[in-house]
Amino acid sequence: MSSISIRLERVSKRFDHTVKGEVYAVRDVSLAVEHGELLTLLGPSGCGKSTTLRMIAGFEEPDAGTISIDGKDVTHALPNKRGIGFMFQNYALFPHLSVFENVAYGLRVQGRDETDLAKTVGEVLELVGLASYGRQQPHQLSGGEQQRVALARAVVFQPKVLLFDEPLSNLDAKLRVEMRDQIRSLQKRIGITTVYVTHDQEEAMAISDRIAVMEGGVVVQDGTAFDLYYRPKTEFVARFIGRTNLLAARVVSAGEVEVEGLRIALATGRAAGDVLRLVVRPEMIEIAPAPSGESARARIVQRTFLGEKTDYQVMLGSAMLQVSATDHYRRPPMEAGQPVAVRFHPEGIHVL
Amino acid sequence: MTVAAQAASWRRVAADPTLLVTLIAVWLLLGLFVLFPLVELLGRAFVEDGRFTLAPLLESLADSGHRAAFFNSLFLATSVGLLGTALGFLFALTAVRTGLGRHWLTLLDAAALLPLVSPPFTTSISIIFSFGPKGFITHDLLGFANVSPYGVWTTTLAETLTYFPIAYLTLRPILAAIDPNLEEMAFSLGGSRWRIFRTVTLPLAIPGFANAFLLLFAASLADFATPLILAGNSFPVLPTQAFLQITGMFDFKGGSVLSLILLVPAVFVFLLQRYWVGRRTYVTVTGKVGQRSRTRAMAPWAGVLLIVGCSLVAALIAYFYALLLYASLVVAFGANNSFTWTHYHVIFTEGLPAIRDTLIIAAIGMPLGGFYGVLVGYLIARRQFPGRRAMELVAMINYALPGTIVGIAYLIAFNDPPLALTGGALIIVAAYVFRYSPTGIRATVALLQQIDRSLDEASSSLGAGSGETFRRVTLPLIAPAFFAGLGVVFIRSMTAISATIFLVSISWTLITVRILENMTELSLGPAAAFSVFVIVVVFVVITGLSAVLARLRAPAAGAAARSFLGG
Repeated sequence: MSSISIRLERVSKRFDHTVKGEVYAVRDVSLAVEHGELLTLLGPSGCGKSTTLRMIAGFEEPDAGTISIDGKDVTHALPNKRGIGFMFQNYALFPHLSVFENVAYGLRVQGRDETDLAKTVGEVLELVGLASYGRQQPHQLSGGEQQRVALARAVVFQPKVLLFDEPLSNLDAKLRVEMRDQIRSLQKRIGITTVYVTHDQEEAMAISDRIAVMEGGVVVQDGTAFDLYYRPKTEFVARFIGRTNLLAARVVSAGEVEVEGLRIALATGRAAGDVLRLVVRPEMIEIAPAPSGESARARIVQRTFLGEKTDYQVMLGSAMLQVSATDHYRRPPMEAGQPVAVRFHPEGIHVL
Repeated sequence: MTVAAQAASWRRVAADPTLLVTLIAVWLLLGLFVLFPLVELLGRAFVEDGRFTLAPLLESLADSGHRAAFFNSLFLATSVGLLGTALGFLFALTAVRTGLGRHWLTLLDAAALLPLVSPPFTTSISIIFSFGPKGFITHDLLGFANVSPYGVWTTTLAETLTYFPIAYLTLRPILAAIDPNLEEMAFSLGGSRWRIFRTVTLPLAIPGFANAFLLLFAASLADFATPLILAGNSFPVLPTQAFLQITGMFDFKGGSVLSLILLVPAVFVFLLQRYWVGRRTYVTVTGKVGQRSRTRAMAPWAGVLLIVGCSLVAALIAYFYALLLYASLVVAFGANNSFTWTHYHVIFTEGLPAIRDTLIIAAIGMPLGGFYGVLVGYLIARRQFPGRRAMELVAMINYALPGTIVGIAYLIAFNDPPLALTGGALIIVAAYVFRYSPTGIRATVALLQQIDRSLDEASSSLGAGSGETFRRVTLPLIAPAFFAGLGVVFIRSMTAISATIFLVSISWTLITVRILENMTELSLGPAAAFSVFVIVVVFVVITGLSAVLARLRAPAAGAAARSFLGG
């Protein structure tokens, strides 16, 4: 058996739109998820990430393309024949069943015998830290607890893959961080192939082995968090992941470019006169008080002290730069209006 | 839908054997008990010697008596629509705006809803007792002799009192949903109370008025029992004429044609109500009724006037029912007012077969109707399959058609082999199930719209097929709709007559038909006793089901309970 668990090949899904006619929710998406890997589909709302996930689950059927799980074609198989555990945004706990019965649901459907069932459910509830909650009704639990019941219910029958549809979006910020760590550690412990959908880039970076960024129904880039942050392929990815400066640069020579009149040594291999787009993360730009007497090109517009770092908005020529400084404890803070010298590090610049 | 999407939709159904079998079964039933009788009826009316003909229709229209019946029907329906809407508005305004206490509201509700769950002749019987030659009001109180209680005015009065609760139930949530802040804001801008009522309250309620009027119009148009008793010879209407054509002259063709003439205004009103009025509401109806602070935009004297008006109507209704009870307990009302149990003795001896048959039919129809309603409602609200909209529409047909048409269609369709079902209990059960389950269907759809679809998907992802999901998740959650559907089918099985009067036989008869027979034989005592019996049984069953619904405490149980009365 290959090490690929879920494979999507040129999967498309259209919807009838009342105004625009037929629109693609997902277009020609190809993805491969390895055994035990956690892949995140990341993108803004309406990008097709949830539709893609729901097609893997079988809740939606693709109009074109194939989906296979563990080498078996499941493109048109019903959800109950696929062996998937699904976590819903609203948890979708059965309101008429107790916590125990919610978790036991999948096992009852399989027709497990009572003692085996009670043991398995007990173990899984233990695993998510809800061992004593079996008799409670879902509405008696907090959001985080409901979340964990849903997780227990999804893993108890040992599905081949786990699918998460924005599971943390209904929780408050602190609980969200706690739960995502729990989900990640549980996923690693049982080594289950997982596809996770979110619009929160920080959540995606924290939880994933690999991230596929989607826009307009298409996967625009697929890679590790590190790749996406430092080597975005498109402007969209650069903007969507983290904060970024997108700068227009003119090639001066093979080893030099010019940004807003500032010359930077950067080997691009492009012909002189070409115009490029550069991605520079805020922490890759260094600013320092301009030496007196020299005519400064840049000036601080705004300073925001955030504790761990200080954010500056710096006007360089006609471009507004976002700059983050973490060395602010070593030097006196610079004030708005102050002229500054700007320095780019060539290794921190990514050419689109 | 594109061809590809349609193909995918078919494939989806084919891959799910439970769904496929269920769809086939539901369509078979709908075909047999809804479409087939209707086609047979149309065939009987418009086909002669294998050819289409309009001759019987033109012949029927040329008959001056039939034309009179047509216009009488329209006149009656319009009168009842207007008067009933006015009365319903009076009750709704009183309930929502006068700040009556909870107990008084309950009393008001009881008076308004009693006529809806009573057998069809109760008001008619009381009117005869009150306004007849020996009537309590006309003879005993006013001293008139030889007054006839029959004709257009008593018919209008009886139908208005019977059907105005529909207007009340339609208007009350709409009035309750009008934010009092709107009125108070207008008040603070310096408008007079009357001006505010005219320029804010009434315009907001206009869609409600239109809806209430159309519902009452349809109910009156289809009403068969009241005119049969009260209209008399001077005021023929279509449903009674069609009935007499068939039972009196055995003229199936003439009866079919007459019932189809009735169909024209009925369909017109149905479409108007559904596609025009139904979509024009300015206020969101959330189901929250009552519990509002009394608005100061209503002058105190106006409130008093409303309460007095409502009390008078409620007193009239209470008087009618008291009279009914009294008449069932005396030897001969008006002539010999000494106490006796004879009438009850009669209904439990001679009348016992009718009681037994009715209860058996209601007991069979109740679970079948409840299950059918929930099943079809679930399919319509939750499953994707080709022909879903068509199924929704077809399932509503028997509910929307006047009972007379359904009855005649069943009689014609199931009179001959291979489907000679007339004379048996099955045909009556089928008539009730397919005519009254749509209330359950609607309740189920409404309930399912409040339950997130992800529950079905969760069950499916956990390995359950569609049948298992329905049994383990959906069914427990839509139990309130199930019990509501059950209740409606039971109540109607006890009280309906317009469709089933064509379907009773020597071996299977119904209480309502016995009441009618008693009335025509002028043995009013047993008729009154039967009516009291039916009201008591219905009351007990509604109380029981309400208790069950209260215990279920599901999110939409309240809404489902209210739909009891809507049917």
